[in-house]
Amino acid sequence: MRGWWRQQVMGQAVVVMVVMVMSMVVADAAAVVDVYRMIQYDLRGAPMGSRRAALNHHATSGFDVAGADLSRAVVILPVLEVNISSLNEFVQNKGLLGGLLLLLPQRSHESGGGEGDDSDENVGKVLVELEQWLVHNTFQYPVYFAYEDDYVKSVLQEVSANDAAGRPATATTGGYKLVVSVSEAKKIATPTLTNIQGWLPGLRAEGDNSMLPTIAIVASYDTFGAAPALATGSDSNGSGVAMLLELARLFSRLYANPNTRGPYNLLFGLTSGGPYNYNGTQNWLRNFDQRLRESMEYALCLNSVGSSSDHMWLHVSKPPENAFIKQILSEFENVAEGLDLTVELKHKKINISNSRVAWEHEQFSRQRITAATLSQLEEASELLQQTGGIADSRRAVNETVMMRKIKLVAESLARRIYGQQGTQVEVFAAGTNLALSPAYVRSWLDLLGRTPRVAPFLGKNAPIITALHKELAQYTKDASLQHETLDSTFVFYDNTKAQLNVYQVASVTFDFIVALAVGSYLIILFVVLFITTKVKFLAVRNLLRGPIIPLTIDCFFNHTNPFCFS
Amino acid sequence: MTFFHFFNCAALTFGPHAIYYKATPLSEYDTFNTCIKAAIVYLTTTFLKLVCLATFVQVSEHDTGFDLPQELLKGLIGFLDVAGLYYALTQVSHRSISQTHKFQAVALGWAFADAVLHRLAPLWVGAKGLEFTWEYLLQGVEANAHLVFTVSLAALGSLMWLRKNKPSALVPVIYASAAVVASMPSVVSYLRKGLAWDFEKVVSFELSASIVMAFVSWRLFSACQRPSQ
Repeated sequence: MRGWWRQQVMGQAVVVMVVMVMSMVVADAAAVVDVYRMIQYDLRGAPMGSRRAALNHHATSGFDVAGADLSRAVVILPVLEVNISSLNEFVQNKGLLGGLLLLLPQRSHESGGGEGDDSDENVGKVLVELEQWLVHNTFQYPVYFAYEDDYVKSVLQEVSANDAAGRPATATTGGYKLVVSVSEAKKIATPTLTNIQGWLPGLRAEGDNSMLPTIAIVASYDTFGAAPALATGSDSNGSGVAMLLELARLFSRLYANPNTRGPYNLLFGLTSGGPYNYNGTQNWLRNFDQRLRESMEYALCLNSVGSSSDHMWLHVSKPPENAFIKQILSEFENVAEGLDLTVELKHKKINISNSRVAWEHEQFSRQRITAATLSQLEEASELLQQTGGIADSRRAVNETVMMRKIKLVAESLARRIYGQQGTQVEVFAAGTNLALSPAYVRSWLDLLGRTPRVAPFLGKNAPIITALHKELAQYTKDASLQHETLDSTFVFYDNTKAQLNVYQVASVTFDFIVALAVGSYLIILFVVLFITTKVKFLAVRNLLRGPIIPLTIDCFFNHTNPFCFS
Repeated sequence: MTFFHFFNCAALTFGPHAIYYKATPLSEYDTFNTCIKAAIVYLTTTFLKLVCLATFVQVSEHDTGFDLPQELLKGLIGFLDVAGLYYALTQVSHRSISQTHKFQAVALGWAFADAVLHRLAPLWVGAKGLEFTWEYLLQGVEANAHLVFTVSLAALGSLMWLRKNKPSALVPVIYASAAVVASMPSVVSYLRKGLAWDFEKVVSFELSASIVMAFVSWRLFSACQRPSQ
């Protein structure tokens, strides 16, 4: 009776333990890889990008693997081997996929020298095309980027080998399992665009009470790319920001001394929202008061000035015959000659009814402020193109050529400010305390090349915004921040970085085989022990070699058999 | 299917103990209490061993490499195991059960406690994960080998301390075998650290050594049993 009760208690204890065991989840992977999620956003309500974040599927190496169930598999593709047209076909046919893991070539940590070799250029082109395709499509499954290190390469090799040998990884055959455990992405409720501005007030002449004219120098600092955690945009527009900061530093030196302060106010603006039709610039301009607007002589916008090309374009929306535009252009051309650079004018009319704003100066023009954009890009880009994604790496920026371009802008501005148009005076000569500082520019390019700057994910107090604010505050007066909300055309979802757990799982068949083996081992053990101890040993074995099995079974059930030990 | 794997490994690790109990006459004679008492003695012995290890053994920065003095010290502390078994066999009062069953019950309780303490926690944490390694199955095999070792040691121990009349020729052999079995843990750790053997090789060595020692102790035991029978 007591034995029965004890059994009951033990049985219940076992059940409780089993339930506890089942409810515990253990994560103990062979390896953990940092992965960067593809952007998820809504454009005018249409869902774009990758719509899922959590991942828990087997790995496979391609789309044509026989016997693989793609809807339960994660395809691992090195970026250089992606065939965009076939991928496009797959997506257009609404193919189901468990997930996509894109492998980026291992990043080198050298800072840019601009002499990237052909393979770099090739990689860049492939990435640009891939990013553009990704950003303009919708994927109902998670898409992640990862850098190709040795471990990931070995996993991919093994997976490919297994797939080629006809053993794709599924739940019944084992293999590698990729797990990203994150919750689904939520909308970013109030994506903030932060504009940073600083003033260098000019010197009014004695007895002159009118408002000084203002020249604005503007650059947008934020980026957009297929993977927001990787969109560091060194050329678009890290180069513009670095140029603006160097100009601020140089002119603050000039303006520090009242003897050399020019009769122009200088307004430096670092705007956000560049990829989104320069939304931040629009809000910034709306907040200008009327006097400032009237006193603004012109605004120079800087966009992508970092390449090795020495041909620059000055994009304007006023017709080229306009006298003022001609003046500005000739100022640039005069200086450019001496620096082995060329500046060419490009005119693009603004279409007010079209909401697409391709250049930053167009926002100024819409507010009736004369403006131009200086850029190495010849053509206006489409929406979400040339926005500083993964392909735009630090190595694409050539500092040496960039220093010449900075000198171009600085000298042209100086000649305008100090009324030295037509002369060949060199204000920022090398060796003086007004010399350009390549080290300064390089350090800012390095910092920007390491910092992803997709505006909705930056928030109000991101370190890079604080850093830019502090830097402008050092060289200008009244450096201030302005926070605006991105307009509702764009809605973004969070979850940009995650950790991928790679597990090597055994198949279900294997578990069954092991269970069978262990079970038979235990049964054999039991039988052996039983025979050797409960059946009378020597005599019985020698005499009754035949009926040993029935005797064993009989002993098991009937203890009164004289041949069994009791 | 990871709980499946956990149950497989748990069955391999703890199954033999239960089967040993059920299949041999131990269950007939209700030696369960002896097993419990032996398990408690094991717990106390392990606790004492831990205290000694913590006090006397230095922790080295590089844990590969075989530091002979430290390992000798650890081996010495391992002999506390033998002392524990002695205590369990002789000092703890058992109900009147025959010699053969006493040492088996003590060994069973001892080995089961060892398996639970040393192998249950890693099994729980590790075998339930998605990742598959051979480690837990090998650990199960090792637990089996350890059971055999413990039974041999307990048999030899009972021969040494409980049996009064032994053929004098065999006495040194008994003590030698007991010393070999008791120093097994040190040998294994030397193989693992000093020679850097793989876990599989170490486990197969343990298995074969346990079978050999079990055979030796069985022969010794039956040799000593003949006079009294």
